Amino acid sequence: MYPPTSPYPHPPLHQTHSGPPPSKALTNTGHTTNYFHQQNNQHLQPHLPQHHPPPTVAPPAVRPPHPSAAAAQQYTPALPTNALYDPPPQQALYCTPDAYYGQQTYHAPQAQQLQHQLPHQQQQQQQHQPPVNGVGAPLYPIVSYPSAPGSSQYGTLRSSQSPCQAPGAVPTLVGAPLHQHPQTSADTNSIAPSGDMPNHSPPYNNYGYPGMQPAYQQGPASHGDSSPSHALYGQQQPQQYAQPFPNMSTLSAALGGLSGVPELELEALMPVNLLHERSLLPDRPLEAPEPNLSPDLRKVNCSPQTFRCTLSSIPQTQALLNKARLPLGLLLHPFRDLQQLPVITSNTIVRCRSCRTYINPFVSFLDQRRWKCNLCYRVNDVPDEFMYNPVTRSYGEPHKRPEVQNATVEFIASSDYMLRPPQPAVYLFVLDVSHNAVEAGYLQHFCDSLLDNLDKLPGDTRMRVGFLTFDSTVHFYNLQQGLSQPQMLVVSDIDDIFIPSHDSLMVNLKDSLELVKDLLGALPSMFRDSRVTHSALGPALQAAHQLMAPTGGRISVFQTQLPSLGAGLLPSREDPNQRSSSKGVQHLGPATDFYKKLALDCSGQQIAVDLFLLSSQYADLATLACVSKYSAGSIFYYPSYHHVHNPAQRDKFRKDLDRYLSRKIGFEAVMRIRCTKGLSIHTFHGNFFVRSTDLLSLANVNPDSAFAVQMSIDDSLVDSSLACFQAALLYTSSKGKRRIRVHTLCLPVVSQLSDVFAGADVQAITCLLANMAIDRSVSSSLGDARDALLNAVVDGLGVYRNTVSTLQQHGLIAPDNLRLFPLYILALLKQKALRTGTSTRLDERVFAMCEFKTQPLQQMMRMVYPDMYRMDTISDQGSLHLNDTVVPQPRLLHLSAERLSRDGAFLLDCGSVLYLWVGKCVNEIFIRDVLGCPNYASIPPNMTDIPELETKLSERVRAFLDWLQDNRAFSCLFYVVREDASAKLDFFQNMVEDRSEMGLSYHEFLQNLLQQMSK
Amino acid sequence: MVLFTMIARVADGLPLAASMQENEQPGRDLQKYQNQAKQLFRKLNEQSPDRCTLEAGDVSFHYLIEHGVCYLTLCEAVYPKKMAFGFLEDLQTEFYDNYGRKVPTVTRPYSFIEFDTYIQKMKKSYIDSRTRRNFGSINTELQDVQRIMVANIEEVLQRGEALSALDTKASNLTSLSKKYRSDAKYLNTRSTYAKVQPHLCF
Repeated sequence: MYPPTSPYPHPPLHQTHSGPPPSKALTNTGHTTNYFHQQNNQHLQPHLPQHHPPPTVAPPAVRPPHPSAAAAQQYTPALPTNALYDPPPQQALYCTPDAYYGQQTYHAPQAQQLQHQLPHQQQQQQQHQPPVNGVGAPLYPIVSYPSAPGSSQYGTLRSSQSPCQAPGAVPTLVGAPLHQHPQTSADTNSIAPSGDMPNHSPPYNNYGYPGMQPAYQQGPASHGDSSPSHALYGQQQPQQYAQPFPNMSTLSAALGGLSGVPELELEALMPVNLLHERSLLPDRPLEAPEPNLSPDLRKVNCSPQTFRCTLSSIPQTQALLNKARLPLGLLLHPFRDLQQLPVITSNTIVRCRSCRTYINPFVSFLDQRRWKCNLCYRVNDVPDEFMYNPVTRSYGEPHKRPEVQNATVEFIASSDYMLRPPQPAVYLFVLDVSHNAVEAGYLQHFCDSLLDNLDKLPGDTRMRVGFLTFDSTVHFYNLQQGLSQPQMLVVSDIDDIFIPSHDSLMVNLKDSLELVKDLLGALPSMFRDSRVTHSALGPALQAAHQLMAPTGGRISVFQTQLPSLGAGLLPSREDPNQRSSSKGVQHLGPATDFYKKLALDCSGQQIAVDLFLLSSQYADLATLACVSKYSAGSIFYYPSYHHVHNPAQRDKFRKDLDRYLSRKIGFEAVMRIRCTKGLSIHTFHGNFFVRSTDLLSLANVNPDSAFAVQMSIDDSLVDSSLACFQAALLYTSSKGKRRIRVHTLCLPVVSQLSDVFAGADVQAITCLLANMAIDRSVSSSLGDARDALLNAVVDGLGVYRNTVSTLQQHGLIAPDNLRLFPLYILALLKQKALRTGTSTRLDERVFAMCEFKTQPLQQMMRMVYPDMYRMDTISDQGSLHLNDTVVPQPRLLHLSAERLSRDGAFLLDCGSVLYLWVGKCVNEIFIRDVLGCPNYASIPPNMTDIPELETKLSERVRAFLDWLQDNRAFSCLFYVVREDASAKLDFFQNMVEDRSEMGLSYHEFLQNLLQQMSK
Repeated sequence: MVLFTMIARVADGLPLAASMQENEQPGRDLQKYQNQAKQLFRKLNEQSPDRCTLEAGDVSFHYLIEHGVCYLTLCEAVYPKKMAFGFLEDLQTEFYDNYGRKVPTVTRPYSFIEFDTYIQKMKKSYIDSRTRRNFGSINTELQDVQRIMVANIEEVLQRGEALSALDTKASNLTSLSKKYRSDAKYLNTRSTYAKVQPHLCF
């Protein structure tokens, strides 16, 4: 199966498509459908052979020890011995399978509720939606559109779409499909046991009923009784298995339940005149659209936070997709921290015999002994072991196994899934100790943080650590157990680097804990007076690779300047005068392939390289980032880091390190994404190496990285009503357990253009387009990428206006679910990665690009279009009640200076930074009660924290701030920005709807779009 | 010297612990030997000799079975057998003390992977002391070692393969003859129809 350690071939090009510049895709709306696709396909061809590596390739040469080379000078720096002894490293991050087993996951009725795996707060939040909606009504004019079914002109759409439905024949429960449950389940209950339908085609053909939109879901009607209906699901558990054993009665019942839906579709497709509507934002951050599936399928479907598709209704053919001119792709966050995860231990992991799909909730059971794969439609046998259900401890209920009840499960893999014994957790830290690094002063903070987190590093008793420092030479540290203090070994022959000692540099942390602590305590002072300005990063990385090659693991590199010695030295490429040039940005691609080659060597040995760049000068991140990109590492960047002059960056570095060192980690991982026959994946985005057409090699996998893929439709999906996607991630946990995490997403297939539009997910589309644009800006030019983004909006809205909307309206109209599309694209064009016109340092731009490639959707959307709230009027109205805290839910505001007012205080949530902007004339009470200052003038200019005051207002603000940051992996920076402070520039850069040097205002942008569309 | 070490349950060949290979000698493809070791574990049973050396070219496998657990190590062929078995004996004592009771209950492969730490330590001590301390004792006890069964790894692995090949052939034969039978039946019926048909027409 997945070879975890197979050698891989000569380093191919993968993620970047460096080809001839494609023809310009400007202005013409007629030809730009696949502006990105075409290009990718072009470039895919030449690389195709590399996707199929030859089975054996000589392993990378490991240089023999070099006896004659400049000898390893040995000396022991005076290190104080530290007598303190901490308890041995313990690790409680990893939940044991038994723990999961014992919990409610396997308890049948509760398991149902788990399907709604929204984190606690979110569930609550939904329940409290209605009041918020009520408040927001004036802001949300779409609500006021008439939406009675059949009464509006949109009704004509429906009749052509649902030939299979006899409208009068089935009872319709308009607007309350949930109420259908008792009936449906009663039917299935009686049928299920005897169910041996001979020809079981995929379940109900429900493609006629698209788009259960979140906007609708949040409406008071469906949410007033949301908790009772949850309970209902719990009791009616067998109902979920309506799907495997359908017959006419269940089918009609299901249709009956769905026949209320058309108006939902209309809601999603309702035309919004963008030029007239001034308030487009929902009150609360957008949620993913619900795919239009039967309620029981919807219930088991994968969480949108893990797995999301740009089109929640998959078009039937490529022709239809081309017609819609919307990108088709998946966004996934496969290893994110989960609160609930069923872990399954069984001797046989049930998989399809032909396509190797893992059994999942969307397969169909023909009878008790056979199941039909939902991806390739092959009929498979149900193994004997699978007949036993550990949940109910009964035999003969294969469809109640946890694998078939949960769209996200984790298997404990058998030894078939290992080519070598599971590797231990191995961490190597490579530290820049040149003069520049000493000046920046990061070393002290790194050592302190690591000392604090030594016992939190994920791993078992086999865990190994090592340290390597470099300036113009490379220094190794012998930490062999039994030494009285660490020994430093200096290798000065950087042109031919070698490892001075083999088994004493990477040491068992438990055995050498004292020595490691000694070293960390002494490191900052050892180099305090260093005058060496050169940086031999390349040789240090080569040495690191050699050190790690036998086991694999994680290399963390801390670099503070442009590498200037040995292999991989880089010239300075940035011309500061060109930073704001609108002509085009140069040097977005790597200057040398040294780092990429090294990354590929590392990836082959299961080593990932994480890069921390703490540089005040240009350090060519575009080139250095390659070392992480292709080895599945992470990239962190702290521009103008200085331990004294830049306390905000310093604090962020510390907080990030805390998370980085203690977060979960998976080793020697591979991920494969499978999809229903007919669909194919052609481009991947993220940090990894593509080993074969659909296998991503991830030397390390971390819970904060996300991936995106683009898909095309090769064969018509006419025969199926459902399309499924399965991502399987095989990894070794830090405890040496081989595990497989499987996510399965199920979406309806539709044949009508209007249905495709009704299912469009504007956030996912924006994120996928951003990924595509970044590829384009590296392979072609920034200008091209920007044009392509613009064309994407023009095309999408153009198609909607010409074909879907029956309304002959002038002006710029968008379907309701895509009403934010132009706004998001405008924001994207003004984002650091893609903006022009304003001064942007090359490294910061490149870092923003790296972030786009790896951040999960939620985080990315906050970077593109930050959330803004008014804080001085914050009230408890419509607030969330979590345990014993009350979290206010203020309304989202448009990012325009006109929404600000001098007598207010506004919070801007940009994902990794929070700004609290305080106007000059803000209520004195707010300043006193929240900021703890007597008046506006006395607010300190660089306030980065809010005092804990005992006032009602302060409590509300803090509760809200805490709640915002609660589920974020990395903690945010927080700034209080006075209206007259210099930092306000950073704040106003985010007001993307206003005209600025970065580009047009939103209104001008719309006018521009309209012009393009009428061409 | 010791190249790698694996510990497995004899009953079902489930690997329990192993040492990560050290790539100290580049160019040697340990993967192949690891796979052979896995195959070997699957073939072992209660009847297998409890001490055995299997030769595979310039390396040899040594294994020892005790309390239903097989301790296997891959060494260079020149590495003294006595030391290899001494090493395995040491592992066995330590492993049995720590995990012996849990062995029958585990289901996950490499459940005791943390034993690797000890294996590494032992391995080191066997490398270090090879030159002086151990060589002396080796010669005296060499006779002992001679009694340990020696076989070739290929033979051992193929013995099973030949059997399974025979099995496949036999089952092929069965299915073919079945097919022949049904074909013959079908032909028979057809010819009967052919015979009867003309009569019916008239």
